[in-house]
Amino acid sequence: MPSEYTALVAALKLCSTPIAEYGWKARPEGAYRTIQLDFEAGSLDADGWKADRAWEGSIDQYYPKLTDRDDLNEEVEEILTEILGNSWSLNSTQYESGTGLFHVEWVFQCVDTPEEPAPEPEGEGGDDDGVQDDG
Amino acid sequence: MAYRMTVDGLTEFSGLLDKLGNSAQSVASQALYEGAGMMAEAINKGAEAIKTEPFHYAREGTRLPSPEEKAIVEAASAGIAKFDKGADSVDTSIGFRNAGYAMLGNKEKPIPQIVNAINSGTSFMQKQPFVRSASTKAKTKVLTAMKEKIESSFDAITKETTGG
Repeated sequence: MPSEYTALVAALKLCSTPIAEYGWKARPEGAYRTIQLDFEAGSLDADGWKADRAWEGSIDQYYPKLTDRDDLNEEVEEILTEILGNSWSLNSTQYESGTGLFHVEWVFQCVDTPEEPAPEPEGEGGDDDGVQDDG
Repeated sequence: MAYRMTVDGLTEFSGLLDKLGNSAQSVASQALYEGAGMMAEAINKGAEAIKTEPFHYAREGTRLPSPEEKAIVEAASAGIAKFDKGADSVDTSIGFRNAGYAMLGNKEKPIPQIVNAINSGTSFMQKQPFVRSASTKAKTKVLTAMKEKIESSFDAITKETTGG
């Protein structure tokens, strides 16, 4: 699993809306989300080795008609921007007449960034947010 | 003292520039025609890889498309829209938008709806993004082919004007 994808799943699990990886066995009531990696979008080859790999994945959000959808959408988009920067886009919005659910789909591309000891150029380590765990 | 300078071929060069400017749109159209064909082929090939299972209603989780649904998508095949030639661009779109209707069981269903349900997923169907995966994977190949086509067309025009 690419590290950016696991970070995304972890961040979405902290939200109040239920989320499942690779679909649901039993659908929950109300709004819910699914996240999955779809396929390998490309790789950087060097000397017969895959130097860097990229994956494309998607987040699907389903919600019934009378939900405050702006909050739900903003939540996902803020998390995507925080973790992936600009490598995501809103792919489609649609309405299922059979079930009365709205369906929003985001597509993102992520890579596996190896954890390096981040060089601390200046500052005495005063403002540690607890985001990076070295060692 | 007065000097006179003579440059050979300047009229030919300006003629070439005129000709390149006039034929830019047709060159772009030719390249786009080739690229769009390659992309449509890639999408149709992607449709062959759709996973299926015998039809059942998904009351709890999600289901895969039935073999009948897959057969409809494969028979429809992605189409290329009429080229929209603007002032400085040539645009087209590839997909199933005008694929029409098909009989599913005893009901007539729009084909774009079936394709969208498989490609994008619904609350009761597992998503298999075959259009998106085909376009992402074929993009580099298609762009390279289009670039080569444009270069060869311009080479041909240059030879025609200056050499002939």
